[in-house]
Amino acid sequence: MSDKPIKFHKDDKAYQKAEKLLNESLAAEDNRVSSDSELATLSSESADSNKVFIKNKPKKGRLKQLFWPSLTVFVLFAAGYEAYQFISRLLSSHWLLGWGAGLLATTVVVSGVYSLYTGWKARRRLKKRQQQQKQLQAILLKNSYGQADAIIQEVNQEIEEFTSVEPLRDKYQQRKRQVHNDQELIQIYSDTVLKGLDKMAVDMVTKHATEAAAMVALSPLSAVDMALVAWRGSRMIEQLSQLYGCPQTVLGRLEMTKKVFKNMMLAGASELVADAGVEFLGKTLTATISTKAAQGIGVGLLIARMGLQTMNVCRPLEFDKENKPKLSQVRKSIYSKVKGLIKNATGSVPEKKK
Amino acid sequence: MDWFDKSVDKASQLWQRGFDRKVRVAVTGLSGAGKTALITSLINQLLHTASHNQLPFLEVTEEQRLKATRLTAHQELHIPAFPYEKNLNSITEPSRQWPSSTTNISLAQINCRYSVKNKWLKTFREDSVLRVEIIDYPGEWLLDLPLLQLSFKEWSRLCVSYLSSQRRQQYVKSVTETIHSLRFHLGLVEPELSATLSEVATEYRQCLTRYRQEHLDYSVALPGRFILPGELKGAPVLDFFPVLNHDILELDWDTFEEDSLLKQLENRYDYYQKKVIRPFFDEYFSNVDRQILLVDTNSVLEAGYEAYQELQKTIEQLLQGFSYGRSNWLKRLFAPSIDRLMIATTKVDLLPPDQHRAIEAFMQKMVAQAQNDVGYDGVEVKTMAISSVATTEPVTTEHEGQQLLCVKGEGIDGQPVIHYPGRIPDKRLSREMWEQLDIDITECAIPKLVSDEPLPHVRLDKVLQFLIGDKFR
Repeated sequence: MSDKPIKFHKDDKAYQKAEKLLNESLAAEDNRVSSDSELATLSSESADSNKVFIKNKPKKGRLKQLFWPSLTVFVLFAAGYEAYQFISRLLSSHWLLGWGAGLLATTVVVSGVYSLYTGWKARRRLKKRQQQQKQLQAILLKNSYGQADAIIQEVNQEIEEFTSVEPLRDKYQQRKRQVHNDQELIQIYSDTVLKGLDKMAVDMVTKHATEAAAMVALSPLSAVDMALVAWRGSRMIEQLSQLYGCPQTVLGRLEMTKKVFKNMMLAGASELVADAGVEFLGKTLTATISTKAAQGIGVGLLIARMGLQTMNVCRPLEFDKENKPKLSQVRKSIYSKVKGLIKNATGSVPEKKK
Repeated sequence: MDWFDKSVDKASQLWQRGFDRKVRVAVTGLSGAGKTALITSLINQLLHTASHNQLPFLEVTEEQRLKATRLTAHQELHIPAFPYEKNLNSITEPSRQWPSSTTNISLAQINCRYSVKNKWLKTFREDSVLRVEIIDYPGEWLLDLPLLQLSFKEWSRLCVSYLSSQRRQQYVKSVTETIHSLRFHLGLVEPELSATLSEVATEYRQCLTRYRQEHLDYSVALPGRFILPGELKGAPVLDFFPVLNHDILELDWDTFEEDSLLKQLENRYDYYQKKVIRPFFDEYFSNVDRQILLVDTNSVLEAGYEAYQELQKTIEQLLQGFSYGRSNWLKRLFAPSIDRLMIATTKVDLLPPDQHRAIEAFMQKMVAQAQNDVGYDGVEVKTMAISSVATTEPVTTEHEGQQLLCVKGEGIDGQPVIHYPGRIPDKRLSREMWEQLDIDITECAIPKLVSDEPLPHVRLDKVLQFLIGDKFR
């Protein structure tokens, strides 16, 4: 340490060393910047970088980890062995019986593998969709040029496989110019194609939710309600995911349903309060008329909420504040539907209930 | 019943303001920034909204609520109408000329009929009409705004430092000597006085005009009417010039006789302030709701460090002159003020689109201080890179084994040209960096356009959305 000011000149060792260090740090920074532009991991990384989190997940015991794989292998092995023995025994009694059983077994295996394969593909699609969401979100924050177009093309192709969006796509093509930067392109795509899909999706959610509400309101058995909810819910998720171009099969849908429910739980407190208020209002009004009707409305709202969250998961671009679909849009039609049912039931025929 | 008519008039004015069906946009910018072209294009875009779909970012057209638009006569009959047809013709005619530079003030009014969005307002009426007024005026006159705060002595001091810059010296050498030789103590009588003043002032003005024809200049030191007198051509109010004598600037000017040359000059300067500058800004800019400030960053980049510094200072001083503040409805009834300001860098069609971000960032850094000052008053400020009439289209070529985004247009000689302007900086530059800066932005000719089609543009829809989009409620 020195109290006096010192000057280093170009020939000095310290000067050269400082310069070298500076260059190194600059290079490091450059690296960081360039790795930033690698989109895929950007948003999650930068978002997580100033978060506090638990470093290591508590490890499951190794033996515990082995349970599921070993069980699967064991069952598969046993089944295969049994099947082999079964078929060979049949073969020894009569060749036709054996061949028939063998053919059946092969069909089971082939179709099983195929459905596993499609499930795996659907799951990959969902994962890809999540990644696309992240990428687009990262681009939106960045004000860059020339990166969004490829992703949008890819997303659009996926959507077009299952949904006919030609008029919307033409509108997008017509609006976009080469001078538009990424942010503007994404915005235009969101305003044309995705907006149209959102509208269809909300209609779909409304339809399923009102149907479910009506069914529950009319069903004579409480035990049936649960089955109804599961059935309508899974149908809706299937259709919604197809609309947005990442269709989910039974196997994949489980994962998606898990995600949807997680989202529903994680939805911000304010949103929950707002929704709860809406539900409460809807319920108290009808509950005075009939408990069954109130249950119907409750189920309808649950389905609607599930639908909106599914949209959130499947949409290539996250909703922003303005275009986020609200529960109140769906609530009205559920409410009026159930009210109409009650009016009919009480008004005309007293023994209406199915 | 004159008072009755007047009060009815006043009441209807208040009603109009309260219901917000008029928006006055001031297009400000120094001369050459492209105000007239922007206004022409804005009107053109608005007039084509009903039949074309070229403004994806203007919400009201996106929601298909804008039904029809019409260019109408405005109510302030003493202001000439903006020559929209003439300007548009000059762009679309075979000769393809940019509109000639503005020499006088003018006003354009566009009425937009739209269906009301607000649920409550909708119960009163389905449709509403928004009057959009846009003012055009010579950019040189804007330079007068900062003069309002300067006394004659302060202005003279400013001129001394202004004229001492290297590139100006050779132009003003002779007139400086003339002014130095004047005896300011002496009292002169008419007509000798007027003759002397007029002679020197004319010489002074001529020097400056010659200098400004050959150089790009953004400084505020000269009164705008010296360059472009408008209807004041030849009027004695313009016959004044700064005192450039150092010894006299040191003196206390109160000791001078009332009829001395110096006092006469000061009188004229004061008169100019009071009767020319102030009424102009009072009348045209005090009622402004929204403002767009155009900055020609392209030419600054080419002109270099000195021009950059001057422009930066000028913008800061300019923005100080406008009255800003959040205009809530109560305040708007009594003292309208600007609540949104857009600072736009123009002519970005000459740059490849991947560099628009850079030039916007560069300009943003340049106006950061001014933006901060204005933002402090609660004004929403936004920057953007725009082009009123796009003269080029982006193309990708290969250069030294790498993909390079360029612009393709028609050169001044009529031959198609592909141009890469160099890497536009996106941050502040030191003096050394300015010297190393290698940027060449070539102007392109206006492409052949059809007059019935909307003019090609860059981001004018976003400009419109920011300036007037929220008024379509």
